[in-house]
Amino acid sequence: MIRNSRKESLIAYALIAPFVAIYGLIFIYPTIDMFILSFQDAPLIGSGDWVGSDNYTRLGRDRRFGTAAWNTAYFVALSVLPGTLVALGIALGVSRLSGRLQALVLALFFLPYILPVSVVFRLWDWTLNFQFGIAMHLFDWVGIDRVPIFKVTAWFMPAVAFVTIWWTCGFSILLFLAGLRAIPQEIYEAAALDNTSRWRTFRRITWPLLWPVTALVLTIQLILQLKIFDQVYLFSQGGRPNDNLVMVYYIFQRAFVNDHGGRAAAIAVVLFFVVIIVSVLNFQLMRFAERRQ
Amino acid sequence: MRYVAGLALGAMLATAAQAEETVVWWDFLAGGDGVRMKQMISEFNESHAGEVAIDATTLEWGVPFYSKVQTSVAVGEAPDVMTYHASRIPLAVKQGLLSEITAEDWEAMGLSEGDFAPSIWESVQGSDGKTYGVPLDTHPIVLYYNKDVLGEAGLLTEDGRPMGMDSREGFTETLTKLKEAGVKFPLGSVTADGNFMFRTIYSLMGQQDGELMTDGEFLVGDNAAKLENALAVLQEWTNEGLQSTYTDYPATVALFTSGEAAMMINGVWEVPTMTDLHAEGKLFEWGAVELPVIFDHPATYSDSHVFAIPAGSAEDPAKRAAVLEVIGSILKGSLFWATAGHIPAYQPVTETDEYKQMEPNATYSPLTANMIYDPKTPLAGVAGPIFDVMSTYFVPTLNGEMEPSEAVEEITYELNDM
Amino acid sequence: MSGPMTAQTARRFNLAGGAITLVTVICAVIWAFPIYWGIISSLKPEDEVVRPVIELWPETLTFDHYWFALTETQIGSWYLNSIVTALGVTFITVTTSMFAGYAISQLRFPGRTALWWLILASFMVPTQVLIINHFVLMANMGLLNSWAGIILPQLIHPVIIIVYKQFFDQVPRDFREAAVMDNASEWRILFKVYVPMNWGVTTALSIVTFIWAWNAFLWPFLAVTKTEMMTITVGITQVWDAFGVYYARQLSAAVLAGFPVALAYLLFQRRVTQAITLSAGIKG
Repeated sequence: MIRNSRKESLIAYALIAPFVAIYGLIFIYPTIDMFILSFQDAPLIGSGDWVGSDNYTRLGRDRRFGTAAWNTAYFVALSVLPGTLVALGIALGVSRLSGRLQALVLALFFLPYILPVSVVFRLWDWTLNFQFGIAMHLFDWVGIDRVPIFKVTAWFMPAVAFVTIWWTCGFSILLFLAGLRAIPQEIYEAAALDNTSRWRTFRRITWPLLWPVTALVLTIQLILQLKIFDQVYLFSQGGRPNDNLVMVYYIFQRAFVNDHGGRAAAIAVVLFFVVIIVSVLNFQLMRFAERRQ
Repeated sequence: MRYVAGLALGAMLATAAQAEETVVWWDFLAGGDGVRMKQMISEFNESHAGEVAIDATTLEWGVPFYSKVQTSVAVGEAPDVMTYHASRIPLAVKQGLLSEITAEDWEAMGLSEGDFAPSIWESVQGSDGKTYGVPLDTHPIVLYYNKDVLGEAGLLTEDGRPMGMDSREGFTETLTKLKEAGVKFPLGSVTADGNFMFRTIYSLMGQQDGELMTDGEFLVGDNAAKLENALAVLQEWTNEGLQSTYTDYPATVALFTSGEAAMMINGVWEVPTMTDLHAEGKLFEWGAVELPVIFDHPATYSDSHVFAIPAGSAEDPAKRAAVLEVIGSILKGSLFWATAGHIPAYQPVTETDEYKQMEPNATYSPLTANMIYDPKTPLAGVAGPIFDVMSTYFVPTLNGEMEPSEAVEEITYELNDM
Repeated sequence: MSGPMTAQTARRFNLAGGAITLVTVICAVIWAFPIYWGIISSLKPEDEVVRPVIELWPETLTFDHYWFALTETQIGSWYLNSIVTALGVTFITVTTSMFAGYAISQLRFPGRTALWWLILASFMVPTQVLIINHFVLMANMGLLNSWAGIILPQLIHPVIIIVYKQFFDQVPRDFREAAVMDNASEWRILFKVYVPMNWGVTTALSIVTFIWAWNAFLWPFLAVTKTEMMTITVGITQVWDAFGVYYARQLSAAVLAGFPVALAYLLFQRRVTQAITLSAGIKG
C-alpha cells in the first residue's frame, strides 16, 4: 500500500511537472520579479538602484496615474453592467427563435467575438470615421452634428466601451443562452396556463433562475475589463493617448515609451492588488446575494 | 589615414567576395515620400545585386517608432540602419541608442562636413563632441493650396499665390472669403494630433521670436504669451469654422486631395502625393508656398531626417561597410529624394541646376532662410517629452475645448515639472 | 375565465412575440452591419471609398486591395506566425493542463491541495501586469522575435485545468477501479479511459485556446520588433509600408486577418458555442 502511494505520487509529479515548470517560469518568477523591480530606479532593460518606496509615493502626485485610474474605473462602469444587460436582452430574443433562423441570428451576434481586436479596431475606426464614416452620414441624415468620436475625450471612453460591448458580447450571450436552456420548459408552460404576463414571467421565473449565470457573466466581465489595453491603445493612435490612459496602457507607456521599468512595475503592482481585491470582494458579494435568494 | 581607408576598402572587397550582405533598414516614411524612398531602395538593390541588399520596413511614425527603436536596441534586436529625426539626437545620445559615425565611416561613405550646411551639421553632433547621424534632408512644413478653388473665389495673386500671406488679418480674410464662397474647410489642419500641430504652433512662436526653452527653463518671460498668441490664432480659425477640426493625419490629406479643404498646412513630404495624383489626372491644379506671416516675420519649423546606426548594430566590418555604402549611395542620389518634397542635405545636389528648377520646391525654397529648429536638449524631438506634454494640450485648445491661456498654464507647469 | 378572452390574450401574446422576433432579427442585421460595411468598402476603389454617399454595393468591384495585401506585404509570414504560435499555445496549454488536471483529479500526492489552491488563485491574477517582467525574461533568454518568445508567456490559462479536473472528477469510479484491477498503468488509464471519454472537452478547450491565442494582441505586440516575425493581428496595425493612408487597403488586410477565424466559426458553430460555455465553467 505504501509502495503504491509512493508510486502514485511519482506519477502525479511527472504529470504535473510540465505545467509546474511553465507556471514557475512564466507566472511565479515574473510576479516576484515585478515586486522587486517596483522598488528600483531601473530602466526597462538593465539594473537600477534601490529607491525604497519612491516609485509608489510619486504615484500620489502623478497626474497621468490619476487619469489612468479614473479612466479604468470609468471604462469598467461603462462596459460591465451595460454589456451584461445587452447580452441578456439579446439572449432572451435569440432564445425565442428556433432552428436555422436561431443559428443564423446567433451567428450574426456572435461573429464579432471571434475577430481579432485589430480587425475590430479597423472596422469601427472606419465606420465612425469623422470625415468618411458611414455613421457620420447617418448623423447628417438625422440632423445631428458630426462627432469626431475618438478624438474628443468626452466621447472616447463611452465609444470604446460601446465597441467593446459589440466585440465581446457574444461570449456573454452564449452563457446566458446556456442558462436559459437549463430552465425547465414546464415552469414556463405552467406560467402560460396561469396567463402570467411576459414581464412577470421574466421577473418571477427567468431572472431568479438565471441569477447564477448573470453573476458569472458579471464577474468575468469585471475582471476582464479592468485589464483593458488593446482597444484603448489602437483607438488612441494619432490622437490624444495621454487623455485616454488606462492602467495597463500607463504601465506600457512608462516601461516601453519612457523606459522607466521600476516606475512601471509600481503601477503594475497597484493594478495587481486592485484586481485581486475586486475579485475577492466580488466573490463575497455574489455569495451574499446568492444566500439572500 | 591611408591605413584606415585601406581597411575600409578591404572590408568592401570582403563584402563583394562573400555572399550578399543584408542591411536591415527601418524608417517611418509613410507619407508620399515613402513611395519615393521605396523606389530609391529598390534601385539600390538592383544596382548592388549580389553585394548588398536592403531589407526595409516602414513602421508607424512617432511614438511607436521611437519606442520600438528604444526597446530593440536594449535587447540587441535593432536594425542595421534607420532614419531618425535630428531633433531627437540629443535624447538618443543621452539614452545611448546610437553608434558614433566615425571619421573612418565618413571617409568610407565619401562624405564630409563640407557637404552640409553648418546648421544641419551641427544638428547631428552629440553633446559629447561625437557625430551621430548622416543628414539626409531638411523638411519644413508648407502651405498647400488648391489653385482651382482659390482662383474661382478670386483669391489668387497674379503670380498664382494665395492672397493675404503677409498678415494675420489678411490670411484670416482669405479663409473667410473661401468660407463665403462655399468651401467646407478653408484650411485643413491635423487638429486631432497634437504631435503634428507642434510644428505649426512652434512656427507661429518663431514668427514672434518666441523661445521654448531659455537656459533650461521653459516658456520664460513673455514666451508664454507668445505661445498663447499662436494658440489663439488657430483657435480663432476653429471658432469661425475656417479650419477642419478633430482631423487626423490621413483625413487631412484626404480632405485636401478630395477638394473639401482648399488649403492645408503639412510637411513637404506630401508633395509627391500631389505630384503623383496630378500626373494621374486625379487632382486639381495645386501649389505649395511658405507659411503665411501671421506675426512679425516669416519663420517655419523644420527638422531633418538623418540616417543613424543603432548602438551595437553593424559592428562587423563587412556589415558596417555595407551600411555605409547604403547611406552614401542614397545621399548622393538624393536629387530624386528632392522629388519627395524634401530639401536634400547633401549640398552638391542642391547646387545643381536641375534641383534649382525643380517645382514646387523652387517656389517654397526661399523659406530655408527662415527655418527654426527644436531646442537642442534631450527633452526635445519628435515624440520626445516636450512634444508629449505640449501635444496633450494642443488638441483640446485647437478644437475649442480649452482656453489658450489655460493650456499655456498647464503646459508651463508640466514642462517645468519634468 | 372565458374562452374568447384566452384566445384574445393568446393572439396578443403571439403578436407581441412576433414583434420581439422581428426586432431581434433586425438588431442582428444591424449588429453585423459594420462587418459587412468593412468587407464592402475593401472591395471599392480608393476614391469611391471616400465618396460622401452611402453605397451598399460597390459601383466598381475591385480585388486590387487584396491582391496588394497578398503580394506586396508580409501578410504571408504573418499568417504563418499566427498559425504556428496559436497552435503552439493551444497544444502546450491543453496537454499540460490535461496532465495536471488528471493528476489533481485522480491521484493523491503531497502538495496536491496547495497546487489546486494556487491554480484557483491565479485565476484572479491579471497576466497583463506581468508584461514588463515577461519582456525582460524573454529578452534575457534571447527569445524576443521568436515563436517560442511569443508562445511562452501566453501559456497561463488556469481555467483549462479547472475544467479538465471537473470533467475527470465526473468519470465514474468504476472505470478507474476496473482498470486498476487489470493492472493497467496510470498512463494507460489516462490515455485509454479518461482522454477518450472526454474528447469533446478536449476539442472544445482547444478551440477556445486557439481563438484566444489567434486574437492575442498585447504580448505579441511587445515581443516582436521584426516585421517578419509579427503575428497577423499585430502586423496589420503596425506596419505602414504595407498600407499607408489607404482606407480600403487597410480594410482588406483586416478582412484577411479576420477571415480564417470567422470561417472556422461558421463551419464549426456548434462546437465553438459549446467550447465557449465550457471555458466559463458551464457544462453545455
